[in-house]
Amino acid sequence: MSDGDGTNIIELENVDKFFGAFQALKNISLSVKKGERIVVCGPSGSGKSTLIRCINRLEEHDNGKIVVNGHELTSDVKDINAVRREVGMVFQNFNLFPHLTVIGNLMLAPKLVRKSSKSEARDTAMKYLERVKIPEQADKWPSQLSGGQQQRVAIARALCMNPEVMLFDEPTSALDPEMISEVLDVMTDLAQEGMTMIVVTHEMGFARSVADSVVFMDAGEIVEMNPPKEFFDNPKNERTKLFLSQILTH
Amino acid sequence: MEAVTGWWDDFFWGSLVVVELFVVALFLTILFGLIGAAAKLSKSRVAHSIASAYTIVFRGTPEILVLLLFYFGSAVTLTAIAQVIDPEIKFVDIPPFWAGSLAIALIVGSYATETFRGAFLGVDPGQVEAARALGVSNLQTFIYVRIPAMWRLALPPFGNHMLSLIKDTALIAIIGLEETLFVAEQAIGTTGKPFTMYIVVGAIYLGFSTIITLSVMVLERYANRHLEIAR
Amino acid sequence: MSFDFALIVDSIPKMLMGIGLTFQLLFLSAALGLALAIILLLMRISGRWYLAAPTMVYIYIFRGTPILVQIFIIYYGLPQLEFVRDSIFWPILREPFGCAIVALTLNTGAYVSEILRGGVLGVDRGLKEAGAALGLSATHRFIYITSPIAIRLCLPAYSNDVISLMKSTALASTITLLDMMGIARTIVAETYAPYEIFISVMVIYLVLTWFIQRSFGWIEKRMSRHVKSEA
Repeated sequence: MSDGDGTNIIELENVDKFFGAFQALKNISLSVKKGERIVVCGPSGSGKSTLIRCINRLEEHDNGKIVVNGHELTSDVKDINAVRREVGMVFQNFNLFPHLTVIGNLMLAPKLVRKSSKSEARDTAMKYLERVKIPEQADKWPSQLSGGQQQRVAIARALCMNPEVMLFDEPTSALDPEMISEVLDVMTDLAQEGMTMIVVTHEMGFARSVADSVVFMDAGEIVEMNPPKEFFDNPKNERTKLFLSQILTH
Repeated sequence: MEAVTGWWDDFFWGSLVVVELFVVALFLTILFGLIGAAAKLSKSRVAHSIASAYTIVFRGTPEILVLLLFYFGSAVTLTAIAQVIDPEIKFVDIPPFWAGSLAIALIVGSYATETFRGAFLGVDPGQVEAARALGVSNLQTFIYVRIPAMWRLALPPFGNHMLSLIKDTALIAIIGLEETLFVAEQAIGTTGKPFTMYIVVGAIYLGFSTIITLSVMVLERYANRHLEIAR
Repeated sequence: MSFDFALIVDSIPKMLMGIGLTFQLLFLSAALGLALAIILLLMRISGRWYLAAPTMVYIYIFRGTPILVQIFIIYYGLPQLEFVRDSIFWPILREPFGCAIVALTLNTGAYVSEILRGGVLGVDRGLKEAGAALGLSATHRFIYITSPIAIRLCLPAYSNDVISLMKSTALASTITLLDMMGIARTIVAETYAPYEIFISVMVIYLVLTWFIQRSFGWIEKRMSRHVKSEA
């Protein structure tokens, strides 16, 4: 599974993460190739959010090695910011900056981090706003948008930094049902354009149609990892079978 | 520091006066605060207006002004009344202790009004409904359901009111009350060391503030104990 | 017992002469106090114990002792210390105005830094994480994300503190300064008319309070354009 010769854009080796006495991640090893789409699923508390938050160091892993796009994650500040420039993240609660307009949200990081000029940042921002199909909302405040629109803005905001990898932490869990598909559509388009993505989600339809691999996590461990057809039609592990039976029966 | 020896017992008695002041004023503050909150929450427009005027006036006026107005105003009035009875009387006043505690209780009471009002509004109406549905009377609901719930919410800001109260007691020295500042002034008269003496006063008040803060922390933990266990 | 309106009409202009001093005390202390508060805040949240610990002690002392005592220590007490008399600050500390400003600034600085800290703590963690995920440095996050939101959050508490500061300026009258309160006390001492004079000056203070509240209300409104009001 692990490829060692540099075509892996993300590599986790024997990663542990503790919160006090509680172990959230147990000996996690995972490789992600460029252009790969990984969906991570599992019950709450299984460590799936912790896993992707370790990748852009919003959480610090305690043991093991994490390498992202050639940078190893250590406590060296330069490295952390270098990683974060290349890795975009979309949060469950959108986390749009309330005191900035939509376009302000998109332009902030490119101006400060990539030192883009105002006009460059604006052009990039409008380009991605069109990508997520809401260019007319550019001058509105986030609070004036619906949940689905806000999440699309959040995706555009991450894309403005031209990341190599996009991490999604339960992007549709906080949305009303009728808005879920507009966000999933954007994510599907992104996948089809070749973006490397790791998505933590319960949306199994999305997993089936978009993912290259589906990872099932439980109690801090990776229990099973397979392409979607194998994963859904032929789960190998008892725990996977149990989880699938619980979420697929409605 | 040796300058302070010989004055320790005077400072002690002065501190005792501060404690007495605080206790009296605290009781009055809670009283005024509850009455004010009740007035603001009531349906009566008159009560509401009076309470509003009360909070606006006493929150917007310097404490020292309230104190002086109270003390000298009442003295002038009382003296005028007394002179009608006995023209020989030159000056009648309300003892500074009572004038002072009443004044600062009115001031902090105006802040407490807002705190209690907010806390009452914050009580879960579901709990009140449940009590009434069980047949508990209005008065009993008020005492056994509303007040405990209200206190839990009011405690943190009320802790701050208590701190304001203890610090405001220092102002009463200005109308002649013989507490710690008064002792300090006498001590300065004989020792000529104003810095030392006022630092002692400061330290005494810091001690009182600390006791109050710690007590509030203990009370908060007690009031929230049913939430801790649920974790 | 009559209400001497002529006296009021005569005295108001005199008291308003003190308003200049009141304003100077207020604005100067507010500005310097805010600057001090920002420095204290940065020290407090720096994460370095040798910066945070002294700050916490400072805040604890200045919030735990009465401001009157702080004023007395600075005005009456500091001259006792030789190194103060020899220092470059002596020209300021020798004057009652300088002492009042120093005392008010040090006091309000402590309170405002805690208010600012409350604002900073109130900023949603997720927003800071989003900033971090985008690659923004800690400094950038603090300036562009945390600060604007924190300022809006602490405006109500800050406006209350400015009003408290205004009320504290009246204490300058205890160290011989002739602000509005000082003039009022002088007139009362001459005329024995506490009601007329003190009530008049109270009205002036209430107008000032109202004005400060309106100004902050306007600022809050402008800063909250982006916040959706709960329907």
